[in-house]
Amino acid sequence: MALVHIDALHKHFGSNHVLKGIDLDIEEGQVIALIGRSGSGKSTLLRTINGLESFDEGRIEVDGERIHPHETDLRALRQKVGMVFQQFNLFPHLSAGQNVMLATRIVKKMPEQDAVDLAKAMLLKVGLQDKFDAYPDQLSGGQQQRVAIARALAMQPRVLLCDEITSALDPELVNEVLAVVRNLAAEGITLIMVTHEMRFAREVGDKLVFMYQGRIHESGDPQTLFANPQTPELASFIGSIN
Amino acid sequence: MSYQFDFVAVFDYSSVLLAGTAHTLLLTTVGAVAGLGIGILGAVSRAWQIKPFDRIFAVYVELIRNTPFLIQLFFIYFGLPSLGFRLDEWQAAILAVIINLGAYTTEIVRAGIEATPRGQIEAAESLAMTRPQIFRHVVLPPALAKVWPAICSQMVIVMLGTSVCSQIAAEELTFAANFIQSRNFRAFETYFIVTVIYFVLAVAVRQLLTQAGLRLLGRRAR
Repeated sequence: MALVHIDALHKHFGSNHVLKGIDLDIEEGQVIALIGRSGSGKSTLLRTINGLESFDEGRIEVDGERIHPHETDLRALRQKVGMVFQQFNLFPHLSAGQNVMLATRIVKKMPEQDAVDLAKAMLLKVGLQDKFDAYPDQLSGGQQQRVAIARALAMQPRVLLCDEITSALDPELVNEVLAVVRNLAAEGITLIMVTHEMRFAREVGDKLVFMYQGRIHESGDPQTLFANPQTPELASFIGSIN
Repeated sequence: MSYQFDFVAVFDYSSVLLAGTAHTLLLTTVGAVAGLGIGILGAVSRAWQIKPFDRIFAVYVELIRNTPFLIQLFFIYFGLPSLGFRLDEWQAAILAVIINLGAYTTEIVRAGIEATPRGQIEAAESLAMTRPQIFRHVVLPPALAKVWPAICSQMVIVMLGTSVCSQIAAEELTFAANFIQSRNFRAFETYFIVTVIYFVLAVAVRQLLTQAGLRLLGRRAR
């Protein structure tokens, strides 16, 4: 049984049919790289997996938890699915440590000291153990994104969704974030990432999914697909990136 | 000019002045706390369109913002008893101040809430927080910090506005001034001193609120 099971998923934004029947199975421990041009539906697909976007038809199951279209109470699901955003979205009035602790304290009702210990462990994992008391505006973009990763990991999700997490970073800061993701992948965390970092997708990804006009146009082993794209659309996309 | 200033004639009534000052501060404090509470409720109802409260608060805000405070006070003190709802002068004064400040803070806090980046709410949602948790922990503290200077100004305006409550014989500072000068016939000296007291109170209240904001809301409440 796949950890994430997506079946015949459709979504419209008004008259715009953005997801046109997506089928995708993701196994525990897999690293999935979602690639494609902007507007191809990859971010929308990612956001349906934790219910930030509703969908119109089809089904999504995460670890046996079924998401119904237009459901509003998604909290059980969201405890299993973590998310990291392009714009970091740290809470600006809380320190790095408090950002990481907030949900474990108030959602999981973890005792204060346990939450502090866990937050410290998560910040250590992303290499920011000395930034517990720093506020977001005192951190670089790369550091903020690593705090955001620590914040998502503290909830111990089964799947981590990464939505273009290096796209808002200065080029010299991209690698420190990718290094963290690489470590997570090596630890066996299930990752679904929308990314424009093709080299990284190729190196770390277990499976590449190429989205084109709201459909999965091509998918499979990254090495094979990059070396030998089967469709002209993927070939042209790879060509335009390099 | 042959007028002989006599400030001692005012200081003979210093206990009256002191009591009036204390009442003005009490009225302001109760009004500020309760008014801010109403403002937060109103702001979240309007910003997040919580039905039917969003409409109720919209009507309330327009009603209060577009009518004079004195009329609101008279309506509560003289008007409501016709419906069998009788309040003494202090109850009426406090109620009027709360209602008035609540309307203005609703609009001020709403601006702060609406300035919350959508991404921060999505981040909180994806951490499985409930909507009340998101409001309490993610939206409200930075929203209040952003609009705190405006809230401080509004509270000072309301404190100065409580002088109107003398018109229903609530014995606050202006009432005390009117009382004293009717006894000693020293209008200039009396109103001069009361002006100074109001000025000092306003500066002090603004300072106090600003400091409280910095302490409670952090570095952004400037």
